[in-house]
Amino acid sequence: MSESRIRVLCIDDEARILRALKALFRDMEVYTTTDPAEAIRWAAEKDIDVVVCDQRMPKMQGIEVLREIRIAHPRAMRVLLTGYADLNAVIGSVNEGEVFRYINKPWDNTELREVVQLAAKIAREAPPLQDKAIDEIDKEQARKEVGILVIEDDPEVQKRLREILAPHYQVRFVSSPDRALAVLEQNEVGVVISETAGQHGDFTALLKALKQYHPHIATVIVTDRANAQVAIDLINEGQVFRLLLKPLRMGSCRLSVDAAVGRYWQLKQNPLAARRYIVAPKAESQMPAWLSGNLLQRIRMLPQRLLGLARAG
Amino acid sequence: MIGGVLAGLFAMAAGVLGWMLRKERAQRAEIASRIPELEDQLGKMQQSQAQVIHTTKLASLGQMIAGVAHEMNTPIGFVKSNVEVVRELMGEYRELLAKVDKGFAMLLAADLAKPGAAEAVRKGIDKLRTALASDERLRDSDELLKDSVDGLVQIANLVKNLKGFARVDQDGMDLMDVNESVESALVIAAHQLRDRIEVKRELNPVPKIRGVASQINQVLLNLITNAAQAMGEGGTLSVASRRSGDQIEIDIADTGPGIPDDVLPKIFDPFFTTKPVGEGTGLGLSIVHKIVQSHGGAIKVRTAAGKGTTFTVSFPIDHALLKQPG
Repeated sequence: MSESRIRVLCIDDEARILRALKALFRDMEVYTTTDPAEAIRWAAEKDIDVVVCDQRMPKMQGIEVLREIRIAHPRAMRVLLTGYADLNAVIGSVNEGEVFRYINKPWDNTELREVVQLAAKIAREAPPLQDKAIDEIDKEQARKEVGILVIEDDPEVQKRLREILAPHYQVRFVSSPDRALAVLEQNEVGVVISETAGQHGDFTALLKALKQYHPHIATVIVTDRANAQVAIDLINEGQVFRLLLKPLRMGSCRLSVDAAVGRYWQLKQNPLAARRYIVAPKAESQMPAWLSGNLLQRIRMLPQRLLGLARAG
Repeated sequence: MIGGVLAGLFAMAAGVLGWMLRKERAQRAEIASRIPELEDQLGKMQQSQAQVIHTTKLASLGQMIAGVAHEMNTPIGFVKSNVEVVRELMGEYRELLAKVDKGFAMLLAADLAKPGAAEAVRKGIDKLRTALASDERLRDSDELLKDSVDGLVQIANLVKNLKGFARVDQDGMDLMDVNESVESALVIAAHQLRDRIEVKRELNPVPKIRGVASQINQVLLNLITNAAQAMGEGGTLSVASRRSGDQIEIDIADTGPGIPDDVLPKIFDPFFTTKPVGEGTGLGLSIVHKIVQSHGGAIKVRTAAGKGTTFTVSFPIDHALLKQPG
């Protein structure tokens, strides 16, 4: 990291929260404001590394502030700090804010400092991706090369996804983690679309493990088992790219999958940027029994050449 | 001839009368036999109504607790962080103290007989005193602790409100100030209002009423919650209280879309709801109505499409208070 101190920008409508954060980050260069417009202006002006933003504020919601900052100053990493865990805020923080971490108030000082320090390191070392769609030629090539894996056991939803995606992409459908791994081992998969759970159990553990070892694969969650905590965990431990609620709408589903393919394609050209989407490593002992052991080993060993990447590190 | 006919008619009438009496007796017996069954049914209905009221009270308690818990996350967040940080700062200050102590020890060991030594020691002491007094960690700690005390007072108030709101310890009629109820209902509902809805208060001093505080609180919370839900995209919630003759009146007004004409007559009906299945019990306003009636009060509603809805609840001022002069 360069010599200068970490520059962190904190936004909250409660001045006492801002003073607390300023004291907590006292070894960093801290900017605090209760005014979202000022925050958006400052982000680029002060070349901020990390933004820590409250969600519920009277003038503007946190996810809107983060979305604006993402556009104005994409280099900064974004953290949402909120006392409320309502599902809409969580979904917005994924789809619009593309946050690095979603942290609940009251926070843990050590954990929050570590998150900010890690985020700052990544903000300085990993280049940001361009926030625009890939061009038509790339799109054509991406469609030919990049496969989409759908983990879903509801035949109705499979049918719907096939209608929406099959005309444009190579889509493969599976309903179990074991079959999912088989597809991943034999094909270049850039995007995984998945329910949070199915008859075979919880899929989120699989998605998180996949992200832990292969952060460039974009995951899109399609669910009707909406639950704020599950979604928060999917951000912090799974860096989920998009979160869609059933019933699926053709337009938003297409847009999300296009964006996910674009994300994967861009990361393929800029492998270093994948660090922006890393998750905190989880010990094998914390994973469910069905995942640890054989399946996890297969995830670790997924051939990097199929992913079009040189092995990182 | 006529006498015979009359006698015949009389006998017939007597027969009919007797038959009717017998029939009535049989009916009475039948009704009497059904009384226990009907009483049993009535009992069951009363019981299930009590259960429904209890369930909705529990639901609104749950909603309250969730709301207040969320409200507490902010003050707990900075108080907890501040106390930890102050502890770290104190640790650093202790290190400074140790250094200063070392400095004093050196100064004490100085040989004051040497020329200029007394002057050097005096300067040294000044320097150490300034270092101790002007250390920014002291000032920062002070500020952080001041915020923390504020935060703890805020948490204490929330808990007090919650306790006062539910009144689990007392369920009897008491003299109460409705303005206090309005304020605590607003605190309890704060998480639903916070970032979307502006609250305007016009609470005038009013005489006390006699009521069950937990029930009056529930009335106000239900009306405020309904108003907040009517303004999905934000708006203004106006609460007002005033005296009107021997009544007090409370207005809860929203700037929502208003209640449609076909819905308006049904709003106080039990189980009537416009919310999707599973979201509303349809009991909120029917319970409000029941509670207001049981307090000898009344509830009125005025609504205008596109402009909003105002519920006005009135309660009689306590008799004893009315008799007092002034």
